[in-house]
Amino acid sequence: MSNEKHLSEKESLQLITDMIQKVKNSYHDKGVGPLLWGTVVAIASFVSYLQLEYGFTLPFDIWWIVMCAIIPQIILINQDAKTQKIKRHEDAALNAVWLVYAITIFGLSFFQGTVPSAAEHIMQLNGSQLVNHSINNSKPDQVIQPFTPSFYSMYILIYGFPTLVTGMVKKFWPMTIGAIVAYLLFMISCFTETKYDFLLGGIAALACWFIPGIILRVRYLKQKRGNV
Amino acid sequence: MFKELDPILHSQLRLAVMSLLISVKEAEFTFIKEKTNSTAGNLSVQVQKLKEVGYIDVIKQFKDNYPQTTCKITPKGIEAFESYVKALQEYLKV
Repeated sequence: MSNEKHLSEKESLQLITDMIQKVKNSYHDKGVGPLLWGTVVAIASFVSYLQLEYGFTLPFDIWWIVMCAIIPQIILINQDAKTQKIKRHEDAALNAVWLVYAITIFGLSFFQGTVPSAAEHIMQLNGSQLVNHSINNSKPDQVIQPFTPSFYSMYILIYGFPTLVTGMVKKFWPMTIGAIVAYLLFMISCFTETKYDFLLGGIAALACWFIPGIILRVRYLKQKRGNV
Repeated sequence: MFKELDPILHSQLRLAVMSLLISVKEAEFTFIKEKTNSTAGNLSVQVQKLKEVGYIDVIKQFKDNYPQTTCKITPKGIEAFESYVKALQEYLKV
């Protein structure tokens, strides 16, 4: 591009439009992050459902695969930071939203892991315990540990939040639709048994991240081929 | 009476640089060079002119032991760009 060329007003306006468009087309998310999280959360949710439905247990907690996915995610973030040549205005805000999401999920897991035993301890101190009592006395009373019924619904609700923000800010409709699907599944899950909540959570993960991830990956590879 | 177009912006390469920077938070020099199809020498001169009038900030640093130049539009640059586009629209009655 030369600096000397005299521009007419129309040419100037066209140049501005072209350059803004060039920036818009220059960056496509590789889709690896959403694919990774969509896959691990869906697998963990579906396996949890199968465990409850068919009464088997794995020798490890399947949700550890979600924790393990943090390692490749950190590697991906570092790689992106090295190769990225532009910083967009929305990057910092979206990173903050996903950080808050991660803290919230961690907080919920902590709540789920500690509150039942803490509640049991408090009840024991008060000289009481939680008992499952059959109304028609068909089964003997059974001492149970306090629990939050249908707690996975809360996770489904929270899956929708960063997904909707990302979809709206990036004007990426597959994520916006994914978030709406997650909210609908959350409402359904409020009326279903815990095992079905896991099934719905798996579908939510596919809708929020896995499917948008595939769309992003296809777009990215298409753009990469176009640039060769 | 039409408003006079800003002579700093009414040049092909400088306008291209400003149009790129208006839509991002910051961009590397190599990215601007690639998107404007300009030579490093010519681009350096124009970037320097934009910097002198306070329309952009130029940050020179090292990234992985390599020098890296990053450009960022300033609030003054945003104001100038907006006035320029407004003036263009008045000319063209868009």
